[in-house]
Amino acid sequence: MTMPDDSSDTLTLTRDKTALDVPWKVIVHDDPVNLMGYVTWVLMKIFGYDEKKAAVLMMQVHKLGRSIVWTGQREKAEFYVQQLQAHQLKTSLEKAE
Amino acid sequence: MKIMPTLDGGLRIDAEDKDDWRLLSGITGDAMSHDDKLSHRLGEFITDEAVMLDWLEYIVPELEDAFNAAVLHVTTAIASARVESGGGPGPLWITREEVFHWYSALNQARLAIEENHKFGPGEFIDPEQLPPARRSVFLRTQFYCAIQSMLLAQGMG
Repeated sequence: MTMPDDSSDTLTLTRDKTALDVPWKVIVHDDPVNLMGYVTWVLMKIFGYDEKKAAVLMMQVHKLGRSIVWTGQREKAEFYVQQLQAHQLKTSLEKAE
Repeated sequence: MKIMPTLDGGLRIDAEDKDDWRLLSGITGDAMSHDDKLSHRLGEFITDEAVMLDWLEYIVPELEDAFNAAVLHVTTAIASARVESGGGPGPLWITREEVFHWYSALNQARLAIEENHKFGPGEFIDPEQLPPARRSVFLRTQFYCAIQSMLLAQGMG
């Protein structure tokens, strides 16, 4: 929005901006060390997923090399990354497209 | 060495001689055997610069403290049990409350070994085909993995 300033020749430019809170993805990456049962257990413990959902995500990590295990606000995503890494899982955080 | 579950959700490890104690004491050395700290390696896939800066400042120090605490706990437990047994036959108890410390220390050892030796998934390796030094490391990581499986089944399942 552009508003003329009557008292001078200067134009004051203001903009109304609404930024959507971009969601962030928490991603677990595969490694040859962590046991499949352990990864499932960690996903259940941290996110409260039931065993079936946690096992599906674990298999994605195992077969595809990575899995998006959670999507949401950055602050909470960072918390989950910390929790997953505390359980020694390689984890990253990416903006959702 | 014999390892068995306990009723309280932990494990009892019966060492039989000094070789068993030496094998158990190897957990600490293996856990600390890689130059790059695990706390840093866990974030190798973080690419966003702002996230990386926050992660280095706030998360890495906490991870490092927690990992060190687990290794210290296990080191102390093994050393105490070894002294009590006089280096000969004797038990080492892992209570339910200690299970995660042990799992963590063993995992640190296996992750460091993997970084150093690149074995990959162990099920595809025939230890008989490995040179003696490498075979010894491989068998150690398999031993650690076996304890972890018992801990997972017993205290974390």
